[in-house]
Amino acid sequence: MSDISVVGMLAENWMMIIGIIIGGLCISVGVHFVPVGGAPAAMAQATGIGTGTVQLATGSGLTGLLAAGFMYKALAAGGIGLSEIVLICATGAVGAMIMICVTMLVGNWVYIYGVGTPPASAKVDYDPITGNSQAPYVAPGTVGQGMPTVCFVSGTMGGLLGGLGGSLIYCMLMGVNGDPAISSIFAIGIFVVNAVLPSYNIQGTIEGFHDPKFKRVPKAIVACFVASLLCGIIAVLIPGIGGV
Amino acid sequence: MSVAAGGEAVSTETPNQVDTKGVVVGLVGIYIAGITAGIIGPYLAFFAGIGAVFATRMGADGVRRVCSYGIGTGVPSIGVLALGMGLVASMFGIAIGWIVGVPMIGPIVGFVIAVVIGWIIGTLANKVIKLNIPVMERCCMEIAGAGVIVLTGLSVMIAGSLDFAVIIEKVVQTGFIAPVFILGALGILHPFNASLGPDETQDRTLRHAYSTGAIAMTISGVCSIAVLDPIAATLSIVVGAFIWYTNFMGFVRLVQRDAGAGYVGTGLLPPGAM
Amino acid sequence: MDPSMGMGLVALMGAAATVAGCSEDLESDIGSQSNPNSQVQLAAQVGYPHRVFNKAISGEPPSNAMYCAVGAGVAMMLMSESTIAASPLLAIAVGAFVSALLNGVFSTTSYLGRSASQTRFNQYVYLDVLRNHVFGIMGHAYITAFCIVGLSYIMWAVLPVTHPFPFPVIALIWGLAVGAIGSSTGDVHYCAEREFQDFKFGAGVNASDSGDITRFAEAGLRSSMDNAWFCSKFGGPVTGVAFGLVVFLDNWRSTAFEGWTAVVVGLVIVSLLIIYNRRLELYARKTYGPYPEYAGEIEA
Repeated sequence: MSDISVVGMLAENWMMIIGIIIGGLCISVGVHFVPVGGAPAAMAQATGIGTGTVQLATGSGLTGLLAAGFMYKALAAGGIGLSEIVLICATGAVGAMIMICVTMLVGNWVYIYGVGTPPASAKVDYDPITGNSQAPYVAPGTVGQGMPTVCFVSGTMGGLLGGLGGSLIYCMLMGVNGDPAISSIFAIGIFVVNAVLPSYNIQGTIEGFHDPKFKRVPKAIVACFVASLLCGIIAVLIPGIGGV
Repeated sequence: MSVAAGGEAVSTETPNQVDTKGVVVGLVGIYIAGITAGIIGPYLAFFAGIGAVFATRMGADGVRRVCSYGIGTGVPSIGVLALGMGLVASMFGIAIGWIVGVPMIGPIVGFVIAVVIGWIIGTLANKVIKLNIPVMERCCMEIAGAGVIVLTGLSVMIAGSLDFAVIIEKVVQTGFIAPVFILGALGILHPFNASLGPDETQDRTLRHAYSTGAIAMTISGVCSIAVLDPIAATLSIVVGAFIWYTNFMGFVRLVQRDAGAGYVGTGLLPPGAM
Repeated sequence: MDPSMGMGLVALMGAAATVAGCSEDLESDIGSQSNPNSQVQLAAQVGYPHRVFNKAISGEPPSNAMYCAVGAGVAMMLMSESTIAASPLLAIAVGAFVSALLNGVFSTTSYLGRSASQTRFNQYVYLDVLRNHVFGIMGHAYITAFCIVGLSYIMWAVLPVTHPFPFPVIALIWGLAVGAIGSSTGDVHYCAEREFQDFKFGAGVNASDSGDITRFAEAGLRSSMDNAWFCSKFGGPVTGVAFGLVVFLDNWRSTAFEGWTAVVVGLVIVSLLIIYNRRLELYARKTYGPYPEYAGEIEA
C-alpha cells in the first residue's frame, strides 16, 4: 500500500521517458552500424561478424551497461546531475566499444590466420575510408569475408551508440526507482526490445554504414520510438521500494 | 531459418485451444498461489509454477507458428523481444496492484498490458518494417502474454506472495530474476528451436514445452529455498521435477515415434549415403 | 584493501575469462551450436546425412547466459544466510554443476528433436553419438560456468569497489557476452575451416558448396568430438584471448583510473585496436594477394 499516484508519477518523470526514448533510438541506430553477417559470415561467405545482430549488439551494449553501473555507483555519493550522466554514458559507450573492437579484431585473426582470407567487402568497390580496392580480394562464390577497415570503424560506432543507449536507459531508470537491481534488469529488457526490432529491419545481415540497407534506418527509428515510448511509460511507473 | 520457411504450420491442436489452456491455467495457478499465501502460508506456491509451465507451452506454440514463416534472424530473436517487454510489463502489473492497494489485479493488468504492447509491436513489425508475416500480430501477443505469465508465475512462486514489495525484495534484489528471465525465455524458445525441421510435429514440440517449463519451475524452486519456507520450496522442486521427468520421457517416446526406423543405437550412415 | 590487490583481482578475472572463453568455444564446436549449426542442419536436406552432433539451443549468447545465470542463482541460494551459508567456492562449484546438468538436458533434447525432424532426409538419430558427446559438452559447459560465475562473484563481492548489480544479473551479462564473442570469433574457425575441411584452404565456403560438410574423418566417419581437438589449436584459445581481453581491459580501466580518465584510456585502447586492425588488414592483403580467379575491372 502506498500513496503514489499514477498520474503524479508520469508528470514527475516525463523527462525520464524522453531519456529512455533517446536511449532506445541510440540502440536502434547502433544496431544498423554493427557489421553482422550471420551464418554466411561464419563460413567466410559474407562480410561481417559471423553471428546474429541481436546477439552481438546485446553482448556489447550490456558489457557497456556493466561499466556504466560501476561508474554510477562511484559517482552516486556526490549526487547525479547532468554532467555525471554524461560521464556515465561515456563510460558505458567506451565499454561497449572495447568489447566490440576486441571481438572484431580477434574475428579478423581467425579469418586471416585460421581461414587464410584477406578481409574484403563485396558491397563497395573501394573501401570508403582507406580507398583500398575490395573486389579482387573477394573469394569466388562468396560476397566478401572478414572486417575491412570500413566495417571495423562502423562496428565501433555501433558499439558506441549501443553502449550509450543502454547506459542512458539505466541512468533514467535509476532516477525513477534508485535501485540498481530493478534498473539493471529493466534496462536489459528495454535494450533487447530495441535491438530486435532493427534486426528485423535489416533482415539479419548488414555490413555497416556503407551498406545500401543502411537507408532503412528511418523505419527502425519509427518502430523503436513507439516501442521505447511504451516501455518507457510503464517502466517509470514502477517505483523502487527503498524510500517508501 | 530456411528449413521450414514454407508457410503455415500444421497443427493438431488449434491456437485457440492452446491459448485458452495457457491463459486460464496460468492465471488461475498464479491466483491460487497468491490468494492462499495469505491464508495458509506459501505452501501452494507451486501452483504458480504449474501456471508458468502451461504458459510456456502457449508461448512455444506462438513461436512455432511465427517461426515457420522464416523471420530472417533466427528463432531466438522473437522470444527475447517478447520476454524483454514481458519483463517490464509483469513488474508493472504487480507494481500497479501495489500502488492502488489491490495486489490481486497485478497479474491481469500485466497480462493485458503485455498483450496490447505485443499487438503494437507486431503491427509495427508488419506495417512499418514490412515483415509481412500474417500471424505476426497474434503471435507477438501470445508470446508476450505467455512471457508475462511465466515471469509473474515464477516470481510469485519464488516470493510466495503477490505483493510488489516482497517480490522486489526476494526476487529482484537477490537477482533471482535473472535466471527466471532467461529460463522463461529459453523455455519458450527451445521447444521449437530444438525440433526445427520439416518433420516437426506439434504434439512433440508442445510436449517438449512442458518439460522446458518444468525445468524453469524446478530451478526457480531451488532458488526459492533461500527466500521462502523450505517446505514450500521443496514442494515446488518435487512437483517441477516430476513434471519434467514425465514429459521428458514422453518427448523421447515421441522422438522414437517420429524417427521410426531411424532411431538407432549405433551404425554407419544410412544406405546410399556412404 | 590496497590498490595492488585490486589489480591482482582484475588480472585473476581476466585469467578466468580466458579459460571460460576457450571452453565455451570448444563446447559449442563439439555440439555445432550457433552458426555452424545451420550447415549441419542443411547437410541432411541437401543429401548428406551425417553423424555430427546437432545442438541448437536458441543461439549461443542466450544459452550461455542461461547457464551462467542459473549457476549464479544456485550459488547465491547456497551462500544465503537462510540456507547453509556455504563458502563461495563450494557454492560456485555446485552452481556450475547444476548448469552443466541443465546444458546436458538441453543438448540431449535438441539432438533428438532436430534429428527426428529430418527423418524424411534419411537423417538417423544415433544414440551412441548422443552418449559419446553429451558428457564432453557438459564438461566444457561446467568449466565455462564455473569461471564466469567465479569472475562475476569477484566483481560483485571481492573487488575494492563492488559492482551494484545483483550477482546473477552480472553472470547473465557476462554469459551473454561470452556467447556473443564465442559465436563471432572461435566459431568461424570451426564453421569456415573444420566443417569444410576437404575444400581448399585460403577462401571462404563457396555458396554452391553450402551444406556439403566434411562427414568423413581420417578413418571412418567424423565424430564431433574431433572438432574440439582441431579447434583447440586455434579457434578456442583466440576466443579465450578475446573474452579475457574484454573482461580485463574493461575492468582494468575502471579500477585503475577514475572519471573521465577512465573514458580517455578506453578511447586510446579503441584507437590502438583500430590501428592494429588496419595493419593486420594490410598484412593480409600483401601476403595473400588478390584471388587469381578474379576477372573484373578493378585493380588490386
